[in-house]
Amino acid sequence: MNWTGAVRTMLVCAILIVLHYTLRPLLAWRASIDFLIVALLLGSVRLRPGAAAVYGFLLGLVADSIAVSPFGAAALAMSIVGFGASWLKAVFFADNLALNGFFLFLAKWIFDLIFLIVGHRAIDPELAMQIFVWSPLAAAVTALAGVIVLSLLKPLMDVRTT
Amino acid sequence: MATAARYGSRVDAGLLVGCVVLSLIAVVLKDEDREPIASALRRSVVAPLVGLQRGAERWRSAWVTSEQRQLASDSIAIRGIKEQAALVENDQLRKIVGLGSRLEWGFIPAEAVHSAAPSEDVVTNMTLTAGSVAGVQRYNPVVAPEGLVGVVQTADPTMSVAILYTSPDFRASAMSADASAFGIVYPHTGRGSAAYMLELRGVPTRVQLKPGTQIYTSGLGGTFPRGISIGTVVSELKTTEPWTRTYLLRPSVSPSHVTTVLVLTAQRVTQGTGNVWGAAVNTDSATRRIVAANDSMARQAALIEAQARRAALDSVRRATIDSVRRSLGAGVAPEPTDARDTTRARRDSTRADTIRKRPT
Repeated sequence: MNWTGAVRTMLVCAILIVLHYTLRPLLAWRASIDFLIVALLLGSVRLRPGAAAVYGFLLGLVADSIAVSPFGAAALAMSIVGFGASWLKAVFFADNLALNGFFLFLAKWIFDLIFLIVGHRAIDPELAMQIFVWSPLAAAVTALAGVIVLSLLKPLMDVRTT
Repeated sequence: MATAARYGSRVDAGLLVGCVVLSLIAVVLKDEDREPIASALRRSVVAPLVGLQRGAERWRSAWVTSEQRQLASDSIAIRGIKEQAALVENDQLRKIVGLGSRLEWGFIPAEAVHSAAPSEDVVTNMTLTAGSVAGVQRYNPVVAPEGLVGVVQTADPTMSVAILYTSPDFRASAMSADASAFGIVYPHTGRGSAAYMLELRGVPTRVQLKPGTQIYTSGLGGTFPRGISIGTVVSELKTTEPWTRTYLLRPSVSPSHVTTVLVLTAQRVTQGTGNVWGAAVNTDSATRRIVAANDSMARQAALIEAQARRAALDSVRRATIDSVRRSLGAGVAPEPTDARDTTRARRDSTRADTIRKRPT
């Protein structure tokens, strides 16, 4: 990735992070769009897995510091998701919107899975409801939003498949 | 190359493990230990994002508050409209109860359900919730507190259909409030607001009705009892009829406002309704006529009595004067010149002039 591409990616990720803290609270949906996951995946597929894990960790720390959720849960989940996205980019992140959407869906669901299990520290019906109902819904919404963002920013983003 | 790749993989794995370990340490930290870290992040690196989130949440709460206020104002407005409708309905029911108490007997209360065919511009009939079981019969008059509404066309056991005064089949014999003019009321053939007007036809040419004159049913024909208010004269309509006049009437009742009506029974129609609608007008005119007639009779009687008394007094006075003069031995005194005897004096003087002079 050249410097121009890196700057573009950083710019898009910054926009997505800003959207996460402006549009998301404004909409206040029960199954809300997770722009941080979209930003994480966009950045991770352009980084080495280790760097992607660090990127996810930092992004997760930001999320943890602002949210009332258990501190460190988002950092852990995003580290794993970022590493996985970077490691699997060759397999999944092709120039196919449907595949990208599925990849976003999967990433968000795995993130929620890790985040909820680590955060709750106990299995209860509410957690099951969250994992099997609200998380897939939020993942679907996030995937849809991610696909739209990718479509809009396609001229800007130079996604290379290796 | 392979060594570099292996080294890179190890670094990646190491970084992942490091991140995971740090995250787990953060997770297992106690609240008092993790809060300073989170707080430090919120005050430094994440501060702009915290500001953005707070601003967005403020916007959101303002939006929700605005929606809630809008809902509250809407509900208040709806409540106000409902209250207004309840007041109007209450007023109508009070009026109908008042009419019922004035009529006292011979009526059937019914709710009116308007039924206009889609092709019709004007409401010409209405369904009543009382039928033949309640005593409603065909051609029973339908009235409202304001006046005449229509006449029952069909009477089923539990419901009936009445034609309104707007129906082309509607006719009513009518008269002015002072019973000086009679005519037949027809629906006015017009469009828009004029469609709900009426016409008073067949009024003799010699009778001219002023705008605002109240028109009532005359009781002729037997369908409607005398004295139900129909409407007021608006203006005279120009027609080709040379011997009669036609007037445009504004109906007393607006069909769209009629929700409850009274159906007058045939017995009540026969016996009349009295002055329930035009009580003040009819009573006043009748009373005025009676008083005027009494006054003229009384005046005449008083005049006759005064003349008789005056004649008696005059004769007594003359007799007294003559007797006094006779007793005194005086001649005939000059005739009194007071006003009451001027006629006789004039007559007498006239006579004196005509008397032939005695020869000397």
